[in-house]
Amino acid sequence: MERLKAEAVVLSSVDYGDTDRIVTLLTRSKGRVTAFAAGARKSKRRFAGALEPGTYLNVQLVERRGDTFRLDGADIRETFHSLRDDLARISRALYCLELTRELCRDHEPHPELFDHLLRYLELLSKAAAGPTSLIKFELDALEVAGFRPRFSSCTLCGGELEAPAKFDPSAGGVSCPHCAARVPHGLPISLEVVQALYALQNGSKQPMNASTRSRSRELLNLFIAHHLGRRLKSVDFMSQVGLD
Amino acid sequence: MTPDALNRLVAQLAKLPGIGEKTAQRLAFHVLRAPAEYARGLSAALLDVVDHVSLCPKCFSLCDKAHPQCGFCSDTRRDDKLLCVVEGIADELALERTREFKGRYHVLHGVLSPLEGVGPDQLRIRELLTRLQDTDVEEVILATNPDVEGEATALYLTRLLKPMGIKVTRLAQGIPMGGDLEFADQATLARALSARRDI
Repeated sequence: MERLKAEAVVLSSVDYGDTDRIVTLLTRSKGRVTAFAAGARKSKRRFAGALEPGTYLNVQLVERRGDTFRLDGADIRETFHSLRDDLARISRALYCLELTRELCRDHEPHPELFDHLLRYLELLSKAAAGPTSLIKFELDALEVAGFRPRFSSCTLCGGELEAPAKFDPSAGGVSCPHCAARVPHGLPISLEVVQALYALQNGSKQPMNASTRSRSRELLNLFIAHHLGRRLKSVDFMSQVGLD
Repeated sequence: MTPDALNRLVAQLAKLPGIGEKTAQRLAFHVLRAPAEYARGLSAALLDVVDHVSLCPKCFSLCDKAHPQCGFCSDTRRDDKLLCVVEGIADELALERTREFKGRYHVLHGVLSPLEGVGPDQLRIRELLTRLQDTDVEEVILATNPDVEGEATALYLTRLLKPMGIKVTRLAQGIPMGGDLEFADQATLARALSARRDI
């Protein structure tokens, strides 16, 4: 049985039986893994608060039969507990964890995504990440997972973008008016939104205004839902509690 | 070949949470070996629970269908100005075991869970707001668990309740009685430090 020590972030955890818990972790070296934490619910001492979503850990894992691991130990490196002082920050953190969980495949390392997630959780915890940072995280996560949406030029002909442009998740980005007929399900996108998203992809730290942000998130949610095959649950939650 | 009746019982028992096929079989054999009165009593108790227990229309705790309200709501000695919001009935019973709390309860029947897609509409939050409009409640104690989902629920409720002019408090968090500082996680210790009190 393979033993593994790794840095990990808890993506989610579900109760199993009366005393155990199944945890989904993003490890730096092994990618997404599912681990069985025996006695995690019964003994507060064994994993004391370590298996909460978003906690940054050093874990000791033992490979079991199949794809799962046994979680032998977890030492907390950072709990990001000040995240929990604000509903918007909790919601954004959980959304990013869900997005990360769904973008990864088991046992495929994504060290860049791990770093992006950790950096974003740190910013959120220090109350230094606004709504635009969430879009930046979405774009970064999509890029390292191989789903970078194209905002630089027309996805179909490579030509310069001009109004009225269309955004089509299945085409992988924005298309110019000349190619509009080839994307019948394309959604209208203003050049202002296109430029703002392109600038974010290229490292801009300029906050977006509320309407650009709202349209960007709407379109990115559709893009993510298209490529994952389903809408993320935390997106619905955020709209129910009135957060962007 | 085991009799059909026994197979049916094993199948039904195995549907219970935490009960696997083997345990269900063991329980079924126990019922079979026990005097017939035990099985009759068990089946009568199961039917009684279904037929006679419902949710209190006011606080959503468990209530006898024969009564219009649960024991907590109908008890006139309890303090109407204090309302404790809990996730589930097990939490309500745990608080009641302390014998410290003499106010009223409201059971949410869950917590907000972004990762599970549980939003405010799936909980008894609308009923809580309606209830608070008609009562003399001065303080609402948010007794959800100190985990991410419990905190999200408490923050969401605070956002709704504060504008109503009601005092909103949260259960204290810190080192448990008989606990060990050495084994406490940093979040718990940090909370314990920030919520320290004079002695």
